[in-house]
Amino acid sequence: MTLPMQTMKEGVYEERPGFPTQYGPDRTDYQPGVPFWPHEAYRDLVIVFVLMAILLFLSAAYTPEVGPAANPAIQPFIVPDWYLLFSWGLLKLADVLPTIVFTDPLGNLINMDAAFWGNMLTFPLVLVPLLLLPFIDRGRETRPAKAPVRTAVGVGFYLGFLFFSSLYATNDRILQSWPFIADDALKWMVIIPPILITFATYVGIRRLGFRDMYWWNVLLIGSAFAVVLLMSLWAFALGPWAADGMSPIDRLGTLGDQNAWPLTVFMVIVILYSAVLFYATAFLKERKAKEVVLAASVITFFAVVIAAKGFADWIFPATFSALKTIALYSNYFIALPLFALVTFYLGTRTPYSTYEYLLNECYQCGKCHTVCPVTKVEDDALGGLNLVYNTFKKQHDGVPLWTCLACDACSAVCPLDIKYSDYILEERSKVGAQGAAADGGRRYGE
Amino acid sequence: MPRESLFGRLNRKVFGYLVSRFPPAPWSDLTRRTVETVQRQVPRSHAEKYELKTIWYWYPLYCLGGIAFVAFIILTITGILLGFYYIPDGTIEFTRTGDVTSAAYESMNFIMNDVPFGFMIRGLHHWGAHVMIAAVFLHMMRVYFTGAYKKPRELNWILGVILLLVTLFFGYSGYLLPANDLSRGAATIGINMAKAVPPLWLGEFQTLVFFGELDPTGFYILRMYWFHVFILPLAGTLLMVLHMALVWIQGVAEPH
Repeated sequence: MTLPMQTMKEGVYEERPGFPTQYGPDRTDYQPGVPFWPHEAYRDLVIVFVLMAILLFLSAAYTPEVGPAANPAIQPFIVPDWYLLFSWGLLKLADVLPTIVFTDPLGNLINMDAAFWGNMLTFPLVLVPLLLLPFIDRGRETRPAKAPVRTAVGVGFYLGFLFFSSLYATNDRILQSWPFIADDALKWMVIIPPILITFATYVGIRRLGFRDMYWWNVLLIGSAFAVVLLMSLWAFALGPWAADGMSPIDRLGTLGDQNAWPLTVFMVIVILYSAVLFYATAFLKERKAKEVVLAASVITFFAVVIAAKGFADWIFPATFSALKTIALYSNYFIALPLFALVTFYLGTRTPYSTYEYLLNECYQCGKCHTVCPVTKVEDDALGGLNLVYNTFKKQHDGVPLWTCLACDACSAVCPLDIKYSDYILEERSKVGAQGAAADGGRRYGE
Repeated sequence: MPRESLFGRLNRKVFGYLVSRFPPAPWSDLTRRTVETVQRQVPRSHAEKYELKTIWYWYPLYCLGGIAFVAFIILTITGILLGFYYIPDGTIEFTRTGDVTSAAYESMNFIMNDVPFGFMIRGLHHWGAHVMIAAVFLHMMRVYFTGAYKKPRELNWILGVILLLVTLFFGYSGYLLPANDLSRGAATIGINMAKAVPPLWLGEFQTLVFFGELDPTGFYILRMYWFHVFILPLAGTLLMVLHMALVWIQGVAEPH
């Protein structure tokens, strides 16, 4: 006996690819996949052998040393293995937090010192969000490019926070090699760049062409820029973190007035360049933004070269030492242009370059075919299949590139909001750029 | 309609939560059928099922958990071999010339210099550990960025986080074992971190649990050895089996 629902389903979905009428191994279109033996097994064995070969090569060529024996009399200058560096960096960073000592109601002395805060930063700060992650992020979207907040936080956390806190673990060696960098500047490097990387990733993903960017995103990113700009100005003008309490302005005074000019010029160049990049990324159209940024980059490059060369060789020979002074607070001057560049690059990517990704969402509901006016008059398309799906599979069924009216009826009914006509127009513009006219024929005069 | 009792509702809620995630299925029958079927087959992935265009360059990322597991097997084998020669005794001794040494350090030198291919076995163990930890980190990133921890796989994500901790503790206890200066420095940091948890008795108690002493004199090596060769492998293997069983039951999550 066949249920009425089953009959209806078969009537609707008969002969449609991707719509099985039965389920399980009895399906007529049952495709069993790849046999485990030998296909999968061979592939797995290849992976195992390659891994084994890499390990054998490493242990033969880079045999680990045992090193000197543990000696209680000597305090060694050690660096832990790379995977624990982040913890050690946070432990070192924790001395900025206040030491709190009190007695709890049970009479225990609670001593919250730097080591305690290091523990707190390492374990609860990293682990608790990880454990709670599935209960915090409850949306259904799994694609990284379509979940911008999750991806941005992940990039900021993994690439930013863990990397820069690992970097801070080696602060002894950095300070030894570059004594003019302040320790506080390195500490801020753990905090500021991850936040900036998060923002930059977020901007980039929002502008990939999946969704329009909300107006408040521009304000958010703009205020992040503004905060960084203000902090760099603050660091330059006041500089409360130097070991001896001197601000760069004071320090410049000790170097002589002649250095104030070159430093001011460099500062103005960097800040102007960043401001132009931000303005272009956030407010201008893509094509215009690219032109503006290219011009600004070229001008900035020559301005910096000419300024550096001019100040160093012709006017003030002491500029180099003055630049070393400003390097105390170099975190902002490194982080800001990098942030601006990354944001710009991500923010002005061609929106439709990821269209394949979008079309891939189609699950062949067929609504676009139902509403498409072209399929009603084109002979090829009368019994045609699904519009978006077939386009994606490179099977143009009567609505090829040049007969589409771009009427957007398909987008209006698409349950996944796939902008089919945008895709068509983009493809046409690509072909047009290669020399074909819009009607598929030759250009006039050829 | 009579209102269901509080216990009944609670029971339904808890049971419904579990059943919606781990639907009852004849696992033993399925296992037997899988084993007995001549042509054992890997099920089609989501992308294959719906004839989606696959993003092929993502696929190696789905191999990272497997690479971590293969590295774990290599580590187990080489670890068993190393265990034949290693002496977990970090007590400070002096050589005839007055240099500081210990039985553990001497046995390390014995493995590196006198055991045939001992340096290769230790090298495999060392680099295998690095590969495993790197693979675990990257595996976690893959799961994070493809949103694979979402319903119904919450439990497996939490298991994965615990396994990450186990792996890191494996690595830490492993590089404490050679009784060299790196080992001593890392033990000093670890002991100070463990002692820093207030109140004082709790910090000292957990230091004694994890290191066996309040100052790194060398006894910590025996404690770390026992963690490294018994407790962590036991817990790690059980959790890994559970982790992979859940992947098998719930299927691989791929973005689509």
